[in-house]
Amino acid sequence: MPQPTDAELIATWASQPAPLLPLLHAFHDRDGYLSDDAIRAVAKGLKMPAADLFGTVTFYHHFARTPGGLDQPRVCDGPVCRMRGYDGLHAALTDASPMPCAGRCDGPIPVLTGHTVRVGTSAGALQEVPTPLPPAYPGKGSECVFASIREPDRATLDGYRRTGGYVALETVRADASGVLGTLEQSGLAGRGGAGFPTARKWRAVAEADARGGHKTIVCNADEGEPGCFKDRALMDHDPHALVEGMTIAALVTGASVGFIYLRYEYPQTVPILQKAIDDAKNAGLLEGFDLMIRRGAGAYVCGEETSLLNSLEGKHPFPRNRPPYPVTHGYDDRPTVVNNVETLCAVAPILRNGAQWYRDLGLGEHAGTKVISLSGDVTRPGNYEVPIGLPLMELVDDWAGGPLPGRTVQAATMAGLSGGFVAGDDLSITLDEPALRAKGSFLGAGGIMVFDDSRDMVDVSHQAMSFFAHESCGKCFPCRIGTQRLAERLGGQGPSALPVWNQEVLDIGSAMKATSACGLGTAAPLITDSLLRYFPERVQQHVEKNR
Amino acid sequence: MTDTPTFELDGEAVPFTPGETIYEVSQRHQANIPTLCYDDRLEPFGGCRLCVVEVEGYRNPVASCTTVAMAGMKVRTATAQVEKHRKTLVELLTSENPHKKIDPLRGAASQELVTLQRRYGATGERFAGKTSGTSREDDPNPFILRDYDQCISCYRCVRVCAEQESDYAISVMNRGFSTQITTEFDNLLEDSDCTFCGQCVQTCPTGALADRKALRAESLPEPLEATRSVCPYCGVGCSVDLMSKGDKLVAIRPARDGGANEGALCVKGQFAFDFVQHDDRLAYPMVRERGELRRASWDEALDRAAEGLAAASRDHGRHSVYAVASGRAPHESTYTLQKLIRAGFGTNYIDNCSRA
Ligand SMILES: Cc1cc2nc3c(=O)[nH]c(=O)nc-3n(C[C@H](O)[C@H](O)[C@H](O)COP(=O)(O)O)c2cc1C
Ligand code: SF4
Ligand code: SF4
Ligand code: SF4
Ligand code: FES
Repeated sequence: MPQPTDAELIATWASQPAPLLPLLHAFHDRDGYLSDDAIRAVAKGLKMPAADLFGTVTFYHHFARTPGGLDQPRVCDGPVCRMRGYDGLHAALTDASPMPCAGRCDGPIPVLTGHTVRVGTSAGALQEVPTPLPPAYPGKGSECVFASIREPDRATLDGYRRTGGYVALETVRADASGVLGTLEQSGLAGRGGAGFPTARKWRAVAEADARGGHKTIVCNADEGEPGCFKDRALMDHDPHALVEGMTIAALVTGASVGFIYLRYEYPQTVPILQKAIDDAKNAGLLEGFDLMIRRGAGAYVCGEETSLLNSLEGKHPFPRNRPPYPVTHGYDDRPTVVNNVETLCAVAPILRNGAQWYRDLGLGEHAGTKVISLSGDVTRPGNYEVPIGLPLMELVDDWAGGPLPGRTVQAATMAGLSGGFVAGDDLSITLDEPALRAKGSFLGAGGIMVFDDSRDMVDVSHQAMSFFAHESCGKCFPCRIGTQRLAERLGGQGPSALPVWNQEVLDIGSAMKATSACGLGTAAPLITDSLLRYFPERVQQHVEKNR
Repeated sequence: MTDTPTFELDGEAVPFTPGETIYEVSQRHQANIPTLCYDDRLEPFGGCRLCVVEVEGYRNPVASCTTVAMAGMKVRTATAQVEKHRKTLVELLTSENPHKKIDPLRGAASQELVTLQRRYGATGERFAGKTSGTSREDDPNPFILRDYDQCISCYRCVRVCAEQESDYAISVMNRGFSTQITTEFDNLLEDSDCTFCGQCVQTCPTGALADRKALRAESLPEPLEATRSVCPYCGVGCSVDLMSKGDKLVAIRPARDGGANEGALCVKGQFAFDFVQHDDRLAYPMVRERGELRRASWDEALDRAAEGLAAASRDHGRHSVYAVASGRAPHESTYTLQKLIRAGFGTNYIDNCSRA
């Protein structure tokens, strides 16, 4: 088949909603990289300034700018992959470059080449493997989003319908009036990090005026937080649950357009989601709702909802200033719901089973469940849907088999890396926001990486801060410079007198927490905060060894 | 009539117009909130975070440049905490650039960072580490020095080029600490859409973008003085400040309060002034004798011109005289010339070389 011409590619995409990313991907895929000519052609085709587009292309990690770049291997250098042999694998692969955590911390090291992810620990033994299903439920209560995910053929339309799928949507299509009340009573809150009550978000969009445009539902499937891989499991094994949740959101809020913003590192998920959308559409389930996939291109900050919206719109993906919030000024400056995959997947089960059912899944006064991506030094890493309020060590020891033989748990990160870590006596914590906030952390998207007593927590902190520095968008001063300076200090540079070192690190951290423009910059210093809190002697050794 | 809403600014009730930001209102009062990414002609950006203020009931300080005032808000602009964070931020900025003297000749806003470094006692001792930005020493254009070693990534240059000039010649490349101001494909300015209007230079708060022509006068000892004038090049009438050191015209700057231009100029008004004190300029009158120019007295030269013009007018009618005033002449000369042509010769055949 002849390659499509520039003009054909532009004609295909220019009239579509949110055309920039798919058009860039089309050129990237056709040519194996993004040439200057391609950037010029896209700029002209979409009537954008070439300088802006050039700058924006360089923002994304995965757009290759040299011939053949698309097919050069990118090896995950995330915290867990570093413990599993990233260095050796990277060295063994020709033309390889590192990529930040690719969301496969529950298996061997992922290597992304073109549109294929293969996993392994040695260069000769890389293979494509499907996303693992969540382990059999080890808890005493029951699950919400994972309740039916292990059913055979759940990812197909028939299989999904056989196990209760699309019943909620059909009910809502007949009468949507009770949905917001049910969601409100259920206590469902955002599962993407910020924990905002979902009913309030939907109500705000439902009540907002679309001002001559249309309302939009955006599913945030960017899953860029290191140590998080739950959305991948949900999408790969239960794609219709997401489609159903988004369509219900559209009916309730009056939205007519939907986007799933999918991280670049999940190429295998694209056909799965596309088939689910197509099948649901052909079955007449998406009436009045135009649902599309848009692939990201490698930028953690694009998971921040306003950066994501700028990215969709083809703008430079700096986060926006808020207020106004996306519920009134989102995609195309019109009312928009942005929800995480897990949040949207929880909607149909809650509507089917009732608000009280969902509330009761939590322990004590806590409502509902949360999927935890558990990885690192544990016997059975994987995605576990825990009742909110479960003790951390019950998850680690009883559900996931505990640390490796002969080892003890030294520390566990929270919210991927964004919550810093807990260690020592605080490992007895329960997994709920109030308990974690009291310890200066938070549950966030639910990634927990376990580090046993063989690990150097200064080194772990250095990698974590290097990640934040690599991903800082560069919009605001505290984060742009602060992440860099903290990473340098954790990497062995900076003052060699302990009190000076400590003061610098604390001052940078408190300025970042108080003044950063988005959650990346406010969360990053939780790493240094927790390091100083739990491991002051290690910090002392680290600082003083450079004297 | 509805009451004007007010909010509390450092304990004082201040009125505001709905839609105004806290920063805008504060500017009318104590005007002491520091900023670096702010330029009142541009959309508030919210990048430098120096303008953060505390608002009662808010968990974190907010950027006053992007936060719209609301009735009843209680705002404190300079608490010890906020001032401490500002100091940290200025110290961080100081640590990302090599330390060198930023001559005020670099540009109109070039002393903003220096001024804050003094205000917060940021000497560059704290937070030492890698520096950011790479100067484009390879860019040979005669107008704009691209000294990005001094850049603090406030993006005022990029935003002024887009929002004020609509040229979109420059943009932001990469992320985080690696961000770098660039043109399309990282080229030289002359290969970009840049028109060399100089807007980016004049809004740059660090002197990272600098007026190359002005810097030629860096070693002159006299103080830098500004004299307000109007650009002679065309009919728009942009207000300018003629920058001089002693008797030497060293730079032109757009006047921010110029009614016609609000701080904008084009390449001619901004950079084309070398002719004023150029060696090639005539320094005395000359007359032509059998095709050769020779030095003459003013009386002789003026008599010769008057005779010739009077003869033409007398022999061929008043419309046989036509004058073109030079865009490089002072306004006073241009005025006098049209007076001569209109009142003296009685014709309206007067024009200017650059009536854009
Ligand atoms: C730096 C940063 C990265 C984020 N990444 C993600 C992400 O990958 N997926 C996600 O759902 N939310 C992410 N968020 C949170 C989103 O901004 C937003 O709160 C969320 O998508 C809202 O959906 P929810 O209410 O269903 O959780 C991120 C936030 C920040 C500050
Ligand atoms: S906190 Fe970091 S990622 Fe967020 S806007 Fe500021 S620089 Fe960008
Ligand atoms: S000189 Fe003018 S056109 Fe050129 S980059 Fe600066 S602002 Fe843009
Ligand atoms: S060159 Fe100047 S105006 Fe442009 S981003 Fe850097 S410091 Fe700001
Ligand atoms: S002036 Fe408000 S953030 Fe820079």
